[in-house]
Amino acid sequence: MPTEDNRPIKVEVKNLTKRFGDLLVLDHMSFNIRKGEFVCVVGPTGCGKSTFLNCLTRIHMPSEGDLYIDGVPADPKKHNISFVFQEPSALPWLTVADNIAYGLKIKRLPKEETEQRVNQILDLMGLQEFRNAYPGELSVSAEQRIIIGRSFAMKPDLLLMDEPYGQMDVKMRFYLEDEVIRLWKELGSTVIFITHNIEEAVYLAEKVLILTNKPAKIKEEIVIDLPRPRDITDSRFIAYRNDITDKIKWW
Amino acid sequence: MERMNGEPKALRNVLYWGLPVLAIGLIAIGWIAFSGSNPDLMPSPAAVWSRFIKTFTKPIAKTTLIGHAWASLKRVLLALMAAWAFGISFGILIGWNKKARAFFGSIFEVIRPIPPIAWIPIIIMWFGIGEFPKILLVFIGTFVPLVINTSTGIEMVDRINIQVGQIFGGNSSQILKDIVIPTALPSIFAGIRTSVSSGWTTVLAAEMLGANAGLGSLVTRGWQGSDLSLVMVAVITIAVIGALLSVILQKLEKVVCPWNH
Repeated sequence: MPTEDNRPIKVEVKNLTKRFGDLLVLDHMSFNIRKGEFVCVVGPTGCGKSTFLNCLTRIHMPSEGDLYIDGVPADPKKHNISFVFQEPSALPWLTVADNIAYGLKIKRLPKEETEQRVNQILDLMGLQEFRNAYPGELSVSAEQRIIIGRSFAMKPDLLLMDEPYGQMDVKMRFYLEDEVIRLWKELGSTVIFITHNIEEAVYLAEKVLILTNKPAKIKEEIVIDLPRPRDITDSRFIAYRNDITDKIKWW
Repeated sequence: MERMNGEPKALRNVLYWGLPVLAIGLIAIGWIAFSGSNPDLMPSPAAVWSRFIKTFTKPIAKTTLIGHAWASLKRVLLALMAAWAFGISFGILIGWNKKARAFFGSIFEVIRPIPPIAWIPIIIMWFGIGEFPKILLVFIGTFVPLVINTSTGIEMVDRINIQVGQIFGGNSSQILKDIVIPTALPSIFAGIRTSVSSGWTTVLAAEMLGANAGLGSLVTRGWQGSDLSLVMVAVITIAVIGALLSVILQKLEKVVCPWNH
């Protein structure tokens, strides 16, 4: 049994529902995320994961229900919500360091604070030597690391990641998964990580939310009680993986 | 790497330096051959060279060649500054704001295909043949490519880049300034390059109609006085300055858009 989690609730999702006309995509989803928790969301393809994320970031407004951060409705102007897109989204005209500083500059953080956070991220990600390079001069995986660094630099209330490693090969994925864990541990961010890769979810998450087929509901919350670094060949790891795979099946 | 594409590096260097020289050499030989057999149609390089020297010893309309070149260049630069200011702003406006595009877009589409020299009669009727109408004509010729390139660049901004700005809580003006305009910069710069070359073309057309100074006036003067050497001097000066402007802009683009190699 997992040990009891005493961290305060950071994010509350209550009855989150989204309709597009008559089409019900999200059906009264409710769950809580604790401060500093790493949550993975898995679900069948086309179950509405992207809509779910877009409601959390306020790209779409929910039809019913809402998302609360620290007890108040989420507001991108007030809260710090950060997002890592599936596609490379580094800004090509900014250097690596300026890309990482981008969100901090929009939030008008003091210069020293910005500089200090950018350096911290560059050090953590081993990108210091590329700080003045442009994303176009680096590989796709390095670009994805810039984006991840940019999001963590915000010290977000909530960091959303939408299948950020969907387009990477296995080796790169393993490497970046460890990297994201390192950043998360170092900075204590609250993370929702969407993936269709169950192994990835078990490797990363403290808690996995399984979505049902459309209209999406929360089918189950599974706490992954495994020590880190995790071993994908460990029998308990495999047991979690198989359990989630069974639960995700809708056929 | 010592070898690329099977050719030794040294040979490749010689080749890529040598080929442009060869091309110019061939044109020179063709020129000499053609002018040798048709001296009435084409002055020889030597005749052009001596005419070139003469533009300094016996200035035309009290102005040396440099003075004429500067007169043209000044008109182009004045018109370009106005066109850059108005054309880029207008391009951003109709590229970014849908209502502005709906309002101005149709008018612009009608004006756009009119070649700048077609405005000449109207402009002369309205403003005479002084300095202002020439600059205005160049302005018209340079304004259009700037607006087209800028507005297209703004419209083509990647949705995901705008979302990045939204996610980080940027307001509309921050997104325009930090995301949209930088994305459109290479395209705006392409517009600047086109504007410079079309400005340089238009100024000559404007000057050929009536001007005391300017390279266009030299062409007209040489043409009317059957002084083909003078025409050639003016044409070559036009070409050299045009090429120099283009090189300067290329260098400038590398400074302004360093990510866009």
